[in-house]
Amino acid sequence: MLMPKKVKYRKQQRGRMTGKAWRGSQLAFGEFGLKVLEPGWITDRQIEASRVAMTRFVKRGGKIWIRLFPDKPVTKKPAETRMGKGKGAPDHWVAVVRPGKILFEMEGVAVADAAEAMRLASHKLPLRTVFIKREGVH
Amino acid sequence: MATATDSKQTDSKQKENKQLEATVREAGNKNAARRVRVAGQIPAVVYGAGKESVSLSVDPRHVLKILYSETGHNTIFDLSVAGEHTKVMIVDWQFEPIKSKLLHIDLKRIAMDKKLTVTVPIVLKGEAEGVKLQGGLMEQVLREVEIKCLPADIPGHIDADVSQLVFGTVLRVSDLPKSDQIEYLTDADQTVAHIVTIKEEVVAAPEVEAAAAATTGEPEVMKKGKQETDGEPSGDKDKDKDKKEKKDKK
Repeated sequence: MLMPKKVKYRKQQRGRMTGKAWRGSQLAFGEFGLKVLEPGWITDRQIEASRVAMTRFVKRGGKIWIRLFPDKPVTKKPAETRMGKGKGAPDHWVAVVRPGKILFEMEGVAVADAAEAMRLASHKLPLRTVFIKREGVH
Repeated sequence: MATATDSKQTDSKQKENKQLEATVREAGNKNAARRVRVAGQIPAVVYGAGKESVSLSVDPRHVLKILYSETGHNTIFDLSVAGEHTKVMIVDWQFEPIKSKLLHIDLKRIAMDKKLTVTVPIVLKGEAEGVKLQGGLMEQVLREVEIKCLPADIPGHIDADVSQLVFGTVLRVSDLPKSDQIEYLTDADQTVAHIVTIKEEVVAAPEVEAAAAATTGEPEVMKKGKQETDGEPSGDKDKDKDKKEKKDKK
């Protein structure tokens, strides 16, 4: 699973997800991409599940770029615990995404294959997404 | 080694017969810019050629036609403001991240006798031997190259022949077609395209996958305070030593 190697603080506050993804909203590496349309958290497991779904579909056909990284720790209290006694222990990692962010990019496959791979990947994610391809704007 | 074919020089007449109507607007805050967008126009600004910058409003549909044309943003066209015509080029444009609506453009006045710096797309031509025979994957690392030339000589795109590209060989900027009119400003050693190999995903057993998911340790937490580097004497340490020595003497 993806997670940072070193962090400054073990736990974080939840934060807000207002606005749009003005950075990372254009295709940078590949010809095709998956753009998210809603704000939300994407966990390390969801990213890994999407990556596996895409790579298994394209097999040896294409190259994939992952444009998001889960750098936010999420804590969880143990089950059947009374409230209080401080914040829970770190449980998993999430990537905070805002609408417009490109999640994955792909190159070296046909449009139909890329669209199908992205569709399979999008089914592993909790947010609405759209398949995009590089346009004629140079 | 891959060789590059001659780049296509687009007809300058084709570039110049396009025209964009614009109206002058008062340069204001973002509320004013939003009002322009609500009215179906987009804010724009024109500058360059030693003249003052002027805030304008233009029709986004006409701008998109220019941006999506064969010559793209390097198209030189006539800007018509209150009956006055100027040769301009789109030098910057902003898209809204979700619906990709055009938000704003920057136009630059062009002097046809002065050289200018533009970015031109690179188009790979042919099927590489490394893909056809060796089963590799073509990766285009550089999609645009920066060039310096006269406005009339701006190519629509630069064609690079990759049919001879195999594993271990790299197409660089220095391999792109050269011409007297064009001077490449991008580093000559920069990679344009190469053949890469892709490893197939090995399907792991579900038990192994579950074990890997369960063993997610915590990352290292940075220590508080300044970290001392090896080999460099620390001022604080020396002070502590002096204090200890003084105490011992007493």
